[in-house]
Amino acid sequence: MAEHTAVHRSGLTMPVVTPRFIDNAWRRGCDFINMDLEDSVPQNLKGYARTLIKDAIANVTKGGAEAFTRINHDLVLADLEGIVWPGLAKVNYPKAEYAEEIQTLDTIISRLERERGIRPGTVEIGANIETSVGVANAYDIAAASPRVREFGGAGGYDMSRDLGMEMFVGFDQFVYGKGEVELAARALGLEPHTAPFTANTTGSVGDPDRAFREAEAARKCGFRVGGGLHPNVVEPQTKGFTPTQEEVDEAHQILERYRELEVSGETWADIDGEIVDRYEAARARKLIDWSELCAQRDQEKAEAVARVERLGE
Amino acid sequence: MTNNNDLPEKVRRSWLMASASQVDKAVAAPQSNVDVVLLDLVEFVAEKDKPTAREGLADTVRQIKESGVDVFAQVDSELLYADLHACVCPELTGVVIAHLESVAQVEEADALISQLEDQRGIPPSALEIVVALDTAQANQDAFEIARASPRITGLTLGRAELVMDLRPEPSGEIHLMQYLMQKLITVAGAVGVPAYGAWWREPDRGLLATPENTLAAALRGRAIGFKGSFCVLENQVTPLNQGFTPTTQEVAEAGKLLDAFQSAVAGGAASIRQGDRIIDSGAALQAQSLIDRAAACEAHDKAKVDALAGRPVPAP
Repeated sequence: MAEHTAVHRSGLTMPVVTPRFIDNAWRRGCDFINMDLEDSVPQNLKGYARTLIKDAIANVTKGGAEAFTRINHDLVLADLEGIVWPGLAKVNYPKAEYAEEIQTLDTIISRLERERGIRPGTVEIGANIETSVGVANAYDIAAASPRVREFGGAGGYDMSRDLGMEMFVGFDQFVYGKGEVELAARALGLEPHTAPFTANTTGSVGDPDRAFREAEAARKCGFRVGGGLHPNVVEPQTKGFTPTQEEVDEAHQILERYRELEVSGETWADIDGEIVDRYEAARARKLIDWSELCAQRDQEKAEAVARVERLGE
Repeated sequence: MTNNNDLPEKVRRSWLMASASQVDKAVAAPQSNVDVVLLDLVEFVAEKDKPTAREGLADTVRQIKESGVDVFAQVDSELLYADLHACVCPELTGVVIAHLESVAQVEEADALISQLEDQRGIPPSALEIVVALDTAQANQDAFEIARASPRITGLTLGRAELVMDLRPEPSGEIHLMQYLMQKLITVAGAVGVPAYGAWWREPDRGLLATPENTLAAALRGRAIGFKGSFCVLENQVTPLNQGFTPTTQEVAEAGKLLDAFQSAVAGGAASIRQGDRIIDSGAALQAQSLIDRAAACEAHDKAKVDALAGRPVPAP
């Protein structure tokens, strides 16, 4: 299984039909922009909305973000025809329930990539689990296409509605579904993004402190994928999902200690209450690699923004 | 397929891992009052030391077995041939297969063990297998794996949180672990074998914890259905034995409950009120199994004392 190297710490989902959102998207500092055709677009604008994606791709990516589009569950063919253009990195498919749906998406996307001069396999599929049927079929859905590289869901409004649950209850009502989805992702070597529970009893989407705490907690549990609805959460998410310098220094120290341990022939050591063994070493290596990827991504974005500013937008 | 579930449930509350390359420590392990010594070839033997560690392993098994405790060897799913050849002997109770990924690996182990049993004069199907579901794929396929061999007499998550790199949430709970524990216990129940594990949480890490935290993890573990747990340090053995044994108070309460229920049944009722509780046949059965479990633990502890003192131990 190929190591996933995408950096998707922060992103904004926005209706593609609202020009002031789309025109300002490149200034937000996101790792990705998710242009929505689904819940935030009124029914009478569904057809029009998809015609906007082709030009919007260049617009939202000029600050270095990747361009994603969330399509409608029931308008797959028309939406894909409208949106799969060079520069599109990912199609988010809501309420995924069966592996066959993902295979259909894969087939259509493969054709469009061929017809439109896109390198085969470029466009990712985000198969979002938002229903009980989706949870029941999670493993098969995640395994349905190599385009599925990040996998998660099993929480949120749609899921709670589907299960007849309340949404803001102050405890984790999604333990089982989230467990199924995360385990499927891990078993298949995909990047899981069903974050651990952190209480949000009000439903606020624009609280920067909460966004930071949530991202930091998620990263500590091994998650690296963010995304939100409000510009206030972008920077806290980017920061929360990026290792701190202190953590990077500590990781180098663990690796150094592990090298000494290997020479000694021991398999583990307790050094001032810190365990050093191959598991800690593997984790330290992963943290350092991730930190380098984050730095690379931040530089790409900074260069892209500088380029736009130099050209006077 | 049933998995030896017609046999009485064994008392295996504490499993002390001892490195196969540290023979003296391994041979001394029964002195800790442990229920099972787990001779490890996977976690605590450096790669380069494995050939040497395998060489004297059967002898070490025999020496430990003299103390009367059960001896398991922990083998690597990817080194089955070498590991099993090194450990299979008449004194070995069974093997724990770690880093398991597939049903095929269990079948391979089963076939190899059968062959070795035959070659080494061990009655067929004598050796047990406990599977450590410590990888994501093994947990995904838990039910199929648990049914893959009639030798399987237990399931555990082993060091899943390390192998799968699961780390604590801000609450201190290890993320995903609650789901994995529930799944394991449900699958174990479905195939009729015990689940081994404890509810470790931050700051405990990878079977390492203070005696106090080990006791807390064992108590929480027993409460959700675990029957015992692996550990790494000798001072964790007593807390595990204690935590996985019903307390005298629990036994006394269960006895009272049972008496009350039985007299109600004799009087023609199906249930009885005790304080705010309704005691029916389900509650009575549960009380009975707690009493049985406590009795089994007591008998097991007595047998261990006798064995360590060199007195003859009655056959179970």
